Amino acid sequence: MSDKKLMLNLITPEKQLIKDKPVDMVILPALLGEMGILPGHVKTVVQLGMGSLRYKVDGKDEEFAALGGFAEVLHDEVNVFAESAALAGEIDEEKEKQRIKALKESLSNKDADIDFELAELEIKQAIARMKVKKKHL
Amino acid sequence: MESLRDIRQNIKAIKSTQQIMQTMKMISNARIRKAQEAMQNARPFAQKMMRMVDDLKQDILSMPQPEDGSESWAGRIFINKTADPNKIGLIVITGDKGLTGSFNAVILRSAIAFLREHQEKEVFLFAIGKKGRDFLNRLKMKNLHMVYESVGVFPKISYVHADLLGDAVLKTFLEEKLASVTLIYNDFKSLASQTLRQTQWLPFDFEQIVQEKEESDFEFEPGMLDIFKLLVPRLLKANLYRILLESQAANLAATMNAMDAASKNAGELVTALGVKLNKVRQASITNEILDIVNGAEALNS
Repeated sequence: MSDKKLMLNLITPEKQLIKDKPVDMVILPALLGEMGILPGHVKTVVQLGMGSLRYKVDGKDEEFAALGGFAEVLHDEVNVFAESAALAGEIDEEKEKQRIKALKESLSNKDADIDFELAELEIKQAIARMKVKKKHL
Repeated sequence: MESLRDIRQNIKAIKSTQQIMQTMKMISNARIRKAQEAMQNARPFAQKMMRMVDDLKQDILSMPQPEDGSESWAGRIFINKTADPNKIGLIVITGDKGLTGSFNAVILRSAIAFLREHQEKEVFLFAIGKKGRDFLNRLKMKNLHMVYESVGVFPKISYVHADLLGDAVLKTFLEEKLASVTLIYNDFKSLASQTLRQTQWLPFDFEQIVQEKEESDFEFEPGMLDIFKLLVPRLLKANLYRILLESQAANLAATMNAMDAASKNAGELVTALGVKLNKVRQASITNEILDIVNGAEALNS
């Protein structure tokens, strides 16, 4: 691997999860399939789907569940603007299952005063998080 | 003359009110720290985002325009020349509760001034916070439309709220061809003071981005337009989110100051009543002694 590093930033509207971390390679969950980024990549703006965001540093892997948003790739920098993100190891499968169950219940209850699109999005996000977690194990 | 018992009861009542006020102050104080933390956490997203839009400025300005002379989606957001000049939007962000000094009053006064100024126009209202919503709903001006209201969101603002508000505003903006959308809110300046802000939210002001860029050399995946349709609302919402957090912190600071002043006042009242209590008590003791002495005199003579 070359000496060149990529500066990785992972930001959600609520928090900065990774700040200026030098990494060897980033794999982005682009909307049209996964996309590997190495240092010196051509400048690109990518729309992200829901999936796993991985990066390699000194031969080691780290994995995040990144859900929606987009990424800006510069020659030596990757800025990921995710809607929501979580470290794969920290995802609690049981909690996600419960969340899905609760959301589905409130969706089937017609009188409930909730935002349907939002609830559906949350279910999708929870499912995506669980997928990343399963793969990670 | 007030009886001793009345004064004692009065003092007790004031003291218990004071205790409530001190507790409210402490609660606000604790929440402010959280609110400030949230503000700091939200900052990098907005900053990086601005930098990215700056990088992409050339691409945005050179977006292909539709051939039939209508304005493109991005054109609407950034330049907005096909808008209906008689329709505008107004977002008013107030607190949910009173007990905040002049916090809400300042905003509402400025909202009224704004509405007077644009009396002839149709105004689409978006209200965050109960005080603002109730006030705007009571207004008997014509040409007002309440489009979106959200109450009870403080002090637990999250990005979802900015998301919902942003969607509602953008939708109205595009469908009704609004000429502009203005925001009125209180900015968090310091713990001791808040400043009233009135800013234009839409169309997006490119002057915010000063730096000139050379030729663009970005690739877009999937298409440029798809990316922009995603990116621009996100930028606007990040901006909204920051503003919501600011007014949340400002609201808490205002509560804290108001409660601080109120409990100080209560303290002064208690002292004054204490002095009065002592005087009344001494007066009654003097009277009793006089009675006794007079009685003794009467027996002697």
